[in-house]
Amino acid sequence: MKKEVPILEGLFEWPSERPRLIATRCPVCGSIQFPSSSVCDNPDCDHSAPLEQCYLSSEGTLYTYTVHAYSLREPFEYHKAPYVVGAVELPEGLIVVGRIKVEDVNMLRIGMKMKLRIDKLYEDDKNVYLSYFFEPVVEG
Amino acid sequence: MTESAIVSAAITEWVEAGHPTPLLIDKLVDVTLKALREAKMRPRDLDAIITNTTAIPFDNPSYITTSAQHFAHRLAERIGARGAQCINVCAACASASIAFALADSLIKTGAIKTALVAGIDNSPRGFYLPGQSILDPDPYAAALKVIGATNPSYWAMWARRRAYEMGQTIESIKEIMALVKEIHSKYGALNPYARYKKIFTVKEVLASPIVCDPLHLYMICATSSGGGATIITDMETARKITSKPVKIAASVVGGPVYGEPMPRLRVFSTKKIEKPFTEWRLPIEKAYKMAGITAEDIDIIECHDTSCFHAINWIDQIMGWERGETDKLIRERQIEHTGSLPVNLSGGTASFGEAVMSQAFMMIHELFRQLRGEAGERQAKKKLKIGIFTAYGAYGAYGCAILEKAW
Repeated sequence: MKKEVPILEGLFEWPSERPRLIATRCPVCGSIQFPSSSVCDNPDCDHSAPLEQCYLSSEGTLYTYTVHAYSLREPFEYHKAPYVVGAVELPEGLIVVGRIKVEDVNMLRIGMKMKLRIDKLYEDDKNVYLSYFFEPVVEG
Repeated sequence: MTESAIVSAAITEWVEAGHPTPLLIDKLVDVTLKALREAKMRPRDLDAIITNTTAIPFDNPSYITTSAQHFAHRLAERIGARGAQCINVCAACASASIAFALADSLIKTGAIKTALVAGIDNSPRGFYLPGQSILDPDPYAAALKVIGATNPSYWAMWARRRAYEMGQTIESIKEIMALVKEIHSKYGALNPYARYKKIFTVKEVLASPIVCDPLHLYMICATSSGGGATIITDMETARKITSKPVKIAASVVGGPVYGEPMPRLRVFSTKKIEKPFTEWRLPIEKAYKMAGITAEDIDIIECHDTSCFHAINWIDQIMGWERGETDKLIRERQIEHTGSLPVNLSGGTASFGEAVMSQAFMMIHELFRQLRGEAGERQAKKKLKIGIFTAYGAYGAYGCAILEKAW
């Protein structure tokens, strides 16, 4: 059996029943950084306290997207065309870019509700590589 | 503050990128000599030599530094110098415009009187891939690995968002982008330095393959090899050299802005704010303030159009207009040489391809010629007084300048 490993450490909780994106929050000014950072990115902050780990909301709205019609070159060839890249606005006031999972791209609408999903990005002989995706929330 | 001016400008022909060109430094020497001759200057007259670094290490990621990053010093050795300040500027696609702004600042403060700003680049081909250096891992690698978003992915996402905010259909913004390409290709065909001479029609552009919806292949610029040289001096010196000095009314270097809401290359997340493209707009606003002008004073634009969406967005940001105005301007072909606001009469990056870090030289050259009435068949029909050029690059690098007739 292949091992399930995150594509990049520290982006999302894993393993977890309801994985969330991992971020940092500045206790001084409230600015949030994703991926996690070692330093606050707000130019008005006095940097008087270290950042704290936090988790991002798993639902947001679609800010924009595109359908990539070309596959990438090695070593990123597992991004196979056509694939959808989008940006999702979260309640924290953060816009997160990620791969979008959707059956039919024609159903995507800017402003529609999206939710986080951890799923397989690709696999090789040894591992299944997991990444975060956003997918439309199916109502009802 | 001392006033400054451009006294000469030259560019090479832009050619296909990605081929080994061992004579890059020789081409740079040639174009530099051309600029020196036009200014009736000798290398010994130069107080500073400021060049852009190059995109070449993208193909050579195991080297932290290469000779191509030291063109200023190599140029000084080749053409001869007397201790001129040599500076190599690295700021992605905005490198040459920032080299220009740096030279201008040195002259305006009185630190130097003359500067050669020059550079040449030979870009890698295709989607840019990150450097694989084990000494300094490229954050772009992480974004590509996880998201698979290339440069055109972000441009396409911007274009779709703009259409959404304007309540337009995707077909509408596609048509406008295709029209921008058609118009710019007409001027590329008239420019002896442009790489592409083919005139594209809207229909042909829309029939080309989709790369990142809504961007079609012919809406995205190619990568090229090319470069240029320009000499700037304090105004007193400039008036001795030429009867037609082009005043640098403002030059600005921009950088990353906290809260910039548009996701761009290498970025996993951004903050949300109300008005998009703050990073693009800020340097322009600063330049207006520095020059003591408003958007209404701009007669002609040369902007960094790595995709046809960029041309649209630059007009939006430069004119500060409600976005519907930009579309109207383009649809009515007012950006042509006969129009009310000519944009990229050089043919733009659409016709040149992008010699990544040297791209600003073709914009500087075009504005210099247009303002002096020396652009031949591409010459704007309206009376020109003030022009602006704008550049942007990865990592949040921005540069712009306002040029003005000084005679």
